[in-house]
Amino acid sequence: MSAAVKLVPVQAAYDDLLQRSLSKISCDLARLIYLASTRDYNTGTYHHDGLASRFRADAASKALEIAHRQVFYTLAAYSLEELVRQLEIYLDGSRERPQDVLRIWQKLEPYRIAVPVEVHPTVACLFLSNVRLAVAIWRHRRAPPPPRP
Amino acid sequence: MIGGPGALLVGGLLLFLLLLLGTRGIAAARGLSSKSDLPLHDDAAEIVPCPPEFALQIFSRADWEFASAIKSHKIAKLFRSERKAVALLWVRQTSAAIQRVMREHAQATRGSGDLEFTTEVKLVLRYAELMLLCGALFLAIQSAGPLWVRGVALYADSLSQHIADVQQAFSATTARREISSIGSS
Repeated sequence: MSAAVKLVPVQAAYDDLLQRSLSKISCDLARLIYLASTRDYNTGTYHHDGLASRFRADAASKALEIAHRQVFYTLAAYSLEELVRQLEIYLDGSRERPQDVLRIWQKLEPYRIAVPVEVHPTVACLFLSNVRLAVAIWRHRRAPPPPRP
Repeated sequence: MIGGPGALLVGGLLLFLLLLLGTRGIAAARGLSSKSDLPLHDDAAEIVPCPPEFALQIFSRADWEFASAIKSHKIAKLFRSERKAVALLWVRQTSAAIQRVMREHAQATRGSGDLEFTTEVKLVLRYAELMLLCGALFLAIQSAGPLWVRGVALYADSLSQHIADVQQAFSATTARREISSIGSS
């Protein structure tokens, strides 16, 4: 099979993923977490039932992998201010209390597993560092003012 | 006025300083695996220069202005320590990536008969310059933080991209020649 014939289903699966799933998610940070959740922790392969039923399973997996990497690089290039805004949108859309989510984020750093495997290590490090900063900034802004003497 | 022995002493000191910076730049890559926050690249052979837009981001003044506008000592301190760690990793990665590129180039030139002397000399000089810059950046970031060396870092980044491009062009030319020689034989 030629490379061009192989690429077509991946491109179609990718377009489908963008239109049906990713465009309905409120922000890039939520998209990253969603895409990371479709990856198997043990094998690193991606799986999405709906996408795999419309396309071949390997094309669906590749489309998810490409989308994951693209969203990651988009987020990593955001300024700190933009990333804090992304975090706010993400927390606004969450059903949990933002304070509880961020307390866990600061303690366990679960966003570390949202990083794709094949990305530049310096960019991965910059992203994780920026998320740590954004979480600290958000918590600082929401912290009650210190009591006046 | 500095006399002959004085000039020799100053020259010697400068040479020593340059050598120190150069070795620091080369050694910067060695701490890579042990100090990286996220060792995604187990194999040093895979390391490539960081995309330029992210170098801009690491040394961004706008991010610092945003963090300092929050007027929190804790956030400012966290920002400085986080960016310092990322900037030092960037120096290590840049140094490691260019050492890998130069190793590849040395291997490619060994089997090639059509080397351009001036191109090779320029490449070696640029490599030496980049190693000096990496050494200087490493020390400057450790002592003063990444914000003060933005200009030098961006220059080092463009230099590393240039060296990588030269090596890539050389490899492509060599590969084309090999293919055409196979075709003609």
